[in-house]
Amino acid sequence: MRLNYLVYLALGVFLIGLILAAGCTQAPAPGGPGEIKIGVVASMTGPASTTGKDIWQSAELAAEEINQKGGVPVRELGRSVPIRLIQGDDESTREGGMKAVTKLITQDQVNVLVGGYSSAVVSAHQAIVADNKVPYIISGASSSAVSRRTDLDTSYMFFHRPNTDDSAEACMDFLAEVFRPAISAKFGFSEDRKLRVAVIYQDSPFGKGQLDAVRALITAKNLPFEIVAEEPFKMGESDFRTVLTSVKAKNPDVIYAVTFLNELVPMTQQARRDVGLTTLILAIENNDDPDYYSGVGTYGDGMIMESRFSPYAVPAGSTEAATRKFLADFDKKYGGFAGMMGAATYESVYVAAAAIEDAGSLDRAKIRDSLARIRIPQMMEIMKGGYISFSPDFRESKFELYVVQLAMDPASGEPRPVIVWPDSLKAREFAIPDWYTPGSP
Amino acid sequence: MDGGIAVLGQVAFWGLYAGCIYILLATGLNLIFGVMKVVNFAHGEFLMLGTYVTFFFFVISGFNPYILLFLSIPILISVGVVVERLCFRPILGTGKLNEIFISLGLIYIFQNAVAMIWTDEWRSMKSPFADMTISAGPIQLPLDYIIIVAITALILVGLHIFLHRTTTGKAIRASSQNRKGAMLMGINVERMDMLTFGIGAGLAGAAGTLWAVSGQVFNPYMGSVPAIKGFAIIILGGLGSIPGAIVGGLAIGMVENFTAFFLGGSWKDAISFILLIIVLLVRPTGLFGEGQE
Repeated sequence: MRLNYLVYLALGVFLIGLILAAGCTQAPAPGGPGEIKIGVVASMTGPASTTGKDIWQSAELAAEEINQKGGVPVRELGRSVPIRLIQGDDESTREGGMKAVTKLITQDQVNVLVGGYSSAVVSAHQAIVADNKVPYIISGASSSAVSRRTDLDTSYMFFHRPNTDDSAEACMDFLAEVFRPAISAKFGFSEDRKLRVAVIYQDSPFGKGQLDAVRALITAKNLPFEIVAEEPFKMGESDFRTVLTSVKAKNPDVIYAVTFLNELVPMTQQARRDVGLTTLILAIENNDDPDYYSGVGTYGDGMIMESRFSPYAVPAGSTEAATRKFLADFDKKYGGFAGMMGAATYESVYVAAAAIEDAGSLDRAKIRDSLARIRIPQMMEIMKGGYISFSPDFRESKFELYVVQLAMDPASGEPRPVIVWPDSLKAREFAIPDWYTPGSP
Repeated sequence: MDGGIAVLGQVAFWGLYAGCIYILLATGLNLIFGVMKVVNFAHGEFLMLGTYVTFFFFVISGFNPYILLFLSIPILISVGVVVERLCFRPILGTGKLNEIFISLGLIYIFQNAVAMIWTDEWRSMKSPFADMTISAGPIQLPLDYIIIVAITALILVGLHIFLHRTTTGKAIRASSQNRKGAMLMGINVERMDMLTFGIGAGLAGAAGTLWAVSGQVFNPYMGSVPAIKGFAIIILGGLGSIPGAIVGGLAIGMVENFTAFFLGGSWKDAISFILLIIVLLVRPTGLFGEGQE
């Protein structure tokens, strides 16, 4: 009977779901005495795997550098000890993250955790970290809802990234200070014309956090902006044609895109190529990755992105030498450049090492206390005040953020970013592309 | 764009494109099920393999990717034949659970093999017609999508002619309608199994090529979601019914895109299964399914 086949089909679909939710766990890796075990939570598989690989490789590079210098001095042991990284593949899913973190904590007995990318994934395993009281330096999970939650103890979690409010504020400031005046001047708009902003956002805590932040900032700063479209999409989506068609019908001046790297590339391509949008896309910092520039190709020309670390746009100043060294070392080891998430994780491993050295112990509570008071000079990303430290309230580090604009580079055949905001860091002025048309007057 | 009708027309066109990919995937799946009564959950991996075969030959040859259909389809047919001979034939008739677990194992094998060869980075490729668009009034029709719709129609017409006008095609249909009867009439049903599985995989391979050519990104793990939707489509259209797979694929493509337009992209995947549940409540055998085997 066909009913039997339906039952088997249903069973099969259920099992496929299990496969999607399941993951490849690494074999137990007992560490010897006197080694520092750092668990790296990275999306090695699934929709965020490109970024996950970047996170893991950058952590490897940092650990190798530290070990080559003799490891981390630990006072209680009376000697320096090497770092051993243990990979925890969160599979870009909440369930995968919970499984990976549980294994890292209970089976591998890591001293510190670093990494974490998706806000949705990190929020799902925060309770495990809180229950086990393991210091966790989170280089992703930008949603403020993740760092500021009150339903569990986040005192062991340190956020080495700007939160959604920070990055949204940088974007809104850029739009208010540079973008709106530029299009008003070019197209002769009246001073009271509101900037028409469309928000396309990942339907996740990350995306919703950004949307909420944008709404709140427009109100709080009384910005002359109008949100003309709010379009959510599922994490991992690759077909944005209908969403973009809907946005196009709303005639925006700019599209604020809250995406992962693997979503922004097809979104930009489909916007320009398939839907024929002649609107600029303002993307978020987590997309500033070499794979974005190679993937988006000519369709990226003129697009804008908020950033804090760019593989191709290194701000002049005190962080320039360290950034260029990191990029060169990464290129030598892996062939290619690291992205922003890689840089943040690289720094996080150094922060973990510094905290362990300061604590003089591998005791998790002592490392946590050390992280709470840590103050080390900025490395590659420009920090407010020039130091990496964590705020006393929600343990968040604070960055100087900037905005880049992409321009085609004939030599590489790919677009390359140039810093256009703020004035203190910009390399050239923001330029409105010839193909751009604003929304309704 | 002028007016709401034009916007809806544009959305319908995106739905038609999505439907084409689903139709090719679901038709192959239904063809295999119709003849062998085998449930192959690794069918989405054939689509994924199709994208990588196209990508690989596009990079090394620089050929027009549509020409590469003449490579991806035969290669995937060969892969399908090998899979049928090595994996499904030995366990045919031993129970559905064996088939299910074999196909689940194949998912892992294909995914890991492709990740090992091409890494698990997201990939995309650019069609030589990527920048060409035809305007139908206020609706923008990218040339690639028109070609994809036309190729899908050609493949389906070709399949129809093959199944209805050739001796082998008639033998496949006979095996599908009554396996024992076909055997008694001298048809080598095992050969038909092998051929059908190969054709099904080839259709998925064609879907993979069209997926890649349309500019969508792909990685080794991308096949599972389309496969699940493929199963939803064949249940919706009726198990074993090729017209059902075509109508079901189009329906899912359209409904997904109109849902994304009216309710937002978050509902895009969920609506396929909501539609499936509604159809099964009204017509438990699917749109074109029969009451009994």
